[in-house]
Amino acid sequence: MNSQQAKFILQGYRPDGADAADETFADALAQARQDAELGQWLAKSTAFDRVVVAKLNDVRPPVGLREAILAGGRVTIADQPPAAKLGWRGAARWVVAASVALLGAVSVGLWSRRVPANGTLPEFALADARSLHGHLDFGPLSAELQTKLSEPTMGLARLRMPDYAALRSTGCRTVKFQGRDVLEVCFKRDGVWFHCYIARREDFPTVAAALTPSFAEHGKASVASWADAAHLYVVVSKSGRAALEKIL
Amino acid sequence: MSSELFNQLVDAHYVPLFRFALSLTKNSSDAGDLTQQTFFIWAKQGHALRETAKAKSWLFTTLYREFLRGRRRSERVTALEDLSPAEADPAAPEIDFVSGLDANLVVEALQEVEETYRVPLTLFYLQDFSYKEIAEMLEVPIGTVMSRLSRGKAQLRAALARKEGGTRGKVVPFKNNSARQSS
Repeated sequence: MNSQQAKFILQGYRPDGADAADETFADALAQARQDAELGQWLAKSTAFDRVVVAKLNDVRPPVGLREAILAGGRVTIADQPPAAKLGWRGAARWVVAASVALLGAVSVGLWSRRVPANGTLPEFALADARSLHGHLDFGPLSAELQTKLSEPTMGLARLRMPDYAALRSTGCRTVKFQGRDVLEVCFKRDGVWFHCYIARREDFPTVAAALTPSFAEHGKASVASWADAAHLYVVVSKSGRAALEKIL
Repeated sequence: MSSELFNQLVDAHYVPLFRFALSLTKNSSDAGDLTQQTFFIWAKQGHALRETAKAKSWLFTTLYREFLRGRRRSERVTALEDLSPAEADPAAPEIDFVSGLDANLVVEALQEVEETYRVPLTLFYLQDFSYKEIAEMLEVPIGTVMSRLSRGKAQLRAALARKEGGTRGKVVPFKNNSARQSS
């Protein structure tokens, strides 16, 4: 690679160093460290890019734009039919997890969208899932876990939880239950969406856990809960207990 | 889609989206409209985004497509060998005068870059996307993104140089050249 080719490649190198781990730039960066002229060019080029970035960051949207978007968005959302119309089109058969545990009370009222002050984690999870109508990517590890959970042949027992702290710190959707963090990852099996809630057992030491699968349901909504040595899991389906039983 | 989720998306992305829109439309009012329109499309259709959803990419791509809608898009694929010698072997830019420029002048200079190069260049300077993601969004090869960044930066430097000349003439009319250069 000559200097000209290195400069060509380095034009795409972001000044905040976000591409430092990208192999595409490795050779050109190494060359810039050895070639004084190229290194000087890169330093100046990066400094120039930083200035432009800073100037661009100085540009502020007009006053009121945010409010206009939010107001218009509310009207648009209100004009939509209910989003949760995911038909249960035949779920894939899941391998049953070997270790399933009980989380809190079972067969309690899970119909309220509001979580009672003394509600259980499954109640909370169901209420939260019912309030969700979108399925978003909230971080790279979250997306990775979503992919794993969506694999049609993967049983929950074989799920290896990624590092909880890393999952949370990289943007996984996090909700609060009893003042503690609970992570949520949505995933789809055979066209049906599920919401998986994950909590650390140490955060909820009073929750009784068992290795038996537990279900709670109301109408078409259903919740399964279990635990392993370190985590509590709750999976919510808006498509009914039968759907959930099929994947467990 | 819940209003709460929508609010989160707006707060996370409306500022960089507006900046991107401003570079495209060259007009604050049109940029605001384009940004709003993008979010309204999300509000209407975004809930359909159920695969490993990439809301940010979706929003930027949708904004760009909305901008292009109704316009004839002229594809210009530029390879390294198509670049002029100065673009293929770019000189290191002088940054001192750029640092002193008003942000609006820098944005104006960015808006003078040809649209083909301005789009990837703005996405690059927003720093939210890698060149690979930009290539994916614009549906062009990675090499084309590199070329467009190279030519775009060359055009931006030229535009900034013009701004610098104009600024000097307007702002410091009473100083001589040597004084201006040393200030």
